[in-house]
Amino acid sequence: MKTMNTPFKQMLEAVPADIQQEVDLEFAISNRINDLMVLRGLTKMEFAQALGKRPSEVTKWLSGQHNFTIRTLSALSAFFGESLVRVC
Amino acid sequence: MNGKEYIFSVITLISKKNVVYLQTIKIDFTMSEAELVLVEEAKNCTLYTIQFLSEDDTEFEQFFNKFKDDVEFSPDLMRIVGFLGKIADFGALERYFRPEGKMSDRVVALPTVQSKLRLYCLRLSDRILILGNGGVKDTKTYEESKELSGYVLTLQNFDRLIKEGVKDGTISVSENKIETDKTFDL
Repeated sequence: MKTMNTPFKQMLEAVPADIQQEVDLEFAISNRINDLMVLRGLTKMEFAQALGKRPSEVTKWLSGQHNFTIRTLSALSAFFGESLVRVC
Repeated sequence: MNGKEYIFSVITLISKKNVVYLQTIKIDFTMSEAELVLVEEAKNCTLYTIQFLSEDDTEFEQFFNKFKDDVEFSPDLMRIVGFLGKIADFGALERYFRPEGKMSDRVVALPTVQSKLRLYCLRLSDRILILGNGGVKDTKTYEESKELSGYVLTLQNFDRLIKEGVKDGTISVSENKIETDKTFDL
């Protein structure tokens, strides 16, 4: 099978560092929320209800592309009883 | 328009009050030959794209080249590309995509967050993703845009041909790979 002429790595290298950092953080936070949800045995619906949010809001959080606000991160950290983000 | 043009003549017989009429109908339509191209084979997901044989670039390269220098949409494009890097490493999980197309196909779109830019893909599984083309969605639905509905239709047709190929044994889809030397009439 043919490989694409433009190497994918070359496309990835074109991504500016600040955007890559943003993507990395959004992706990592989303996966952590999903892991914690699974650990607590919560469905998306139960999780949304427990936080007083719509399920569509949880869908956004779990998409790996959501630009979380500090307010949302704080609410989620308080809910799970652990910090989702650590500042070094 | 790319590709070959086929013209079919169809003769229909219409029986009405014991009289037989002959009617000739000509149907013109265009088909383009395309093949599957490997983008990236990573730990948890293999990315593919589609190449029309009449084009120099694959569908995904066309999407990338269209917006990489666009002042307004380049940042959104770069977010999508960066995110595809994550998908390659962690898998094309359902929750990372916006469902698009119809219930009967596997067409999805990126990004899920607010952006006018859309990249359409075929998500065959958590470990196989086919990248299509995309553009700026400035209508309420993709169906209202001739350009975007064309990209979705290409993927819907490709999806149908993959399913047919798997059935007749000309395409093999394993856990994380598609194996075929087939060209597809899209």
